[in-house]
Amino acid sequence: MIIGTGITKTYRQRGSVLDGRDVLALRGVDFAIAKGGAVTFIGESGCGKTTLGRIVAGLETYDSGEIIIDGTPLSPLRHRQRQAQFRRVQLIHQDPYSALNPTRTIHQTLDAPLALRARRMGRSKAWAQERARELLTLVGIDPGYVLPRYPHQLSGGMRQRVVIARALTVDPEVLVADESVSMIDVSLRLGILALLKDLRERLGVSVLFITHDIATARYIGADGELYVIYRGQVVERGPTETVIAAPVHPYTQSLLSAIPVLRGVEQPGPDLVLPTEALDESHTDTGCLFARRCPFRTDHCESERPSLGYGEDTPQEHACFHPRPRSVIPVEVSA
Amino acid sequence: MTESFAPGVRVRDLTVVYRTPAGELPALAGVGLTLAPGTITGIVGESGSGKSTLALSLLNAVQPPGRIKAGSVDIDGLGDVVQLGGDELRRARGRQVGYVFQAAQNSLNPLKTVGKQLLDLGRSHDVADLPALVGEARALLGRMGLDGGRVLDSYQHELSGGMRQRVGIMLALVLNAHLVVLDEPTTALDMITQATILRIVKEVHRERGLTTLIVTHDIGVAAEVTDCLAVMYGGRVVEHGPTTAVLGSPRHPYTRGLIRAIPRLSGDIDEARALPGRPPTLGTIPAEGCVFRERCPLRMAVCDTVDPAPAAYGERTVACHAVGQPVAPAVRKEYV
Repeated sequence: MIIGTGITKTYRQRGSVLDGRDVLALRGVDFAIAKGGAVTFIGESGCGKTTLGRIVAGLETYDSGEIIIDGTPLSPLRHRQRQAQFRRVQLIHQDPYSALNPTRTIHQTLDAPLALRARRMGRSKAWAQERARELLTLVGIDPGYVLPRYPHQLSGGMRQRVVIARALTVDPEVLVADESVSMIDVSLRLGILALLKDLRERLGVSVLFITHDIATARYIGADGELYVIYRGQVVERGPTETVIAAPVHPYTQSLLSAIPVLRGVEQPGPDLVLPTEALDESHTDTGCLFARRCPFRTDHCESERPSLGYGEDTPQEHACFHPRPRSVIPVEVSA
Repeated sequence: MTESFAPGVRVRDLTVVYRTPAGELPALAGVGLTLAPGTITGIVGESGSGKSTLALSLLNAVQPPGRIKAGSVDIDGLGDVVQLGGDELRRARGRQVGYVFQAAQNSLNPLKTVGKQLLDLGRSHDVADLPALVGEARALLGRMGLDGGRVLDSYQHELSGGMRQRVGIMLALVLNAHLVVLDEPTTALDMITQATILRIVKEVHRERGLTTLIVTHDIGVAAEVTDCLAVMYGGRVVEHGPTTAVLGSPRHPYTRGLIRAIPRLSGDIDEARALPGRPPTLGTIPAEGCVFRERCPLRMAVCDTVDPAPAAYGERTVACHAVGQPVAPAVRKEYV
């Protein structure tokens, strides 16, 4: 179980001393990833979802807040101990073409972490060899074919599976998958998603899925939780199926409205929501962060910022003064 | 402007080969495709299916080690572009055929403002009235929801991905081309920006009376904007027809499998099924027989030896031996 409370992160934009502007990447985000659970972060580019994923994986520092892994708060720990905690979280990169060292065979890539692990656990080298084969079989590729090969000899889908196998060498409890299928061919994408789903079900590995393709989130964990992030703030959070079928925050509704409709199979949802303008980083920070783009804003929205909480009768949390469930996703045309 | 400006395009028996150490390998093998004037056609396919090669052929711009080996690309008002060369070809590109390149983010010159690049474009096409060209560019950018003056004064790094994509569309249209090719117009853009760009493409297409070709790996994108859809696999067009028909009742087993492999937002998510196997690359395309047979649930003996020719079924063309034959329920189970 990983819990984060009030995580903030500020990037200082490059510029001279005078015009350097602070960008609030995360504005006090709370999250919880249960063992074997599936949590998805969605949002536009620049909303902070990748930063949050990197913080969870221990690859990025945060300015304030606390991360608690299985009851152990990380901030009092020394660097070394903290690193050991973060080893339980592994990141699967977006681009399987650059995530593997091109000068090493897959055998070398997998053997390095496994040999280290074998030494620490007092196991033999043969164990490491055996484990490499096991892991490759687990991710659905033939070890005999893959082990002696270099990354450039493998297809994108295979490489992504190798990347997942490498992440599994340290027996992680959480896999952070940041846009992990966006560079994979459409017909192979579902295979990788099915693998992540399978690892979750069989090994009890939690999956933190970061994406802008909301339908894939549904495939990995319809029983999971969906976080909708906008400009560093979680604006809606709840069970994945609920948030998709009946979102209450206008930003979530805009995101879901933007999903292409498979004409011939589906028709657009009845209540489509279009943001009134494009994302502009120079928008003011007073009031609701989405107010400038929101078609339903009132004066109240421009003066005060709503915080995340349960509304009167919504099953999900939201940060909106005027929550209203709308049906925006494409509807299947009955045959 | 009326639709009479929009040119039709007829691609016939187009074969494009790439020279490799293993000999010349076909990226396109006798492709035929007709773009009706005034329509938006989508080409969908996975990497290595030949979709970008086909799009580049419309400009006769296939780069070595590739070359057009046979076939013709006949564009109204331009003739067969395969036969064009030198200055004729250079003038046609931009004037008659606008091309928005994949990753428009990276197709702009980082050292020049957008306005300077626009002037370069104008000079290279001998535009006499450059101020009018700038005015046209500004109007186009304004039409796409941008502040034209500001954008023309900007360097590419000062623009967001969605803005650069719109600049790419502006540069493709500013010389008044009526055939526009967009290669992966929304890859690397997020959902809301993608929806905006697609809306702009549709509106500009209608207002200026264009014939538009969109190349994408994302069926959703094609479904959203196109009138007709061509599905490519292994250097062939395997299915082509009206978009709603192709998506609503796909006939080629590849199209069916592909649509099934897309996770959707409504309905039973567990109905989504991965397509077994993987797409062929240039080197692994079988020399004879159907290119899809290794992954096909309807495979028959004839598929191993004879490459199915595209056959017309109403408005649709499908290249498959099994289509048109009664399908045994036992075979269909693979898709249930």
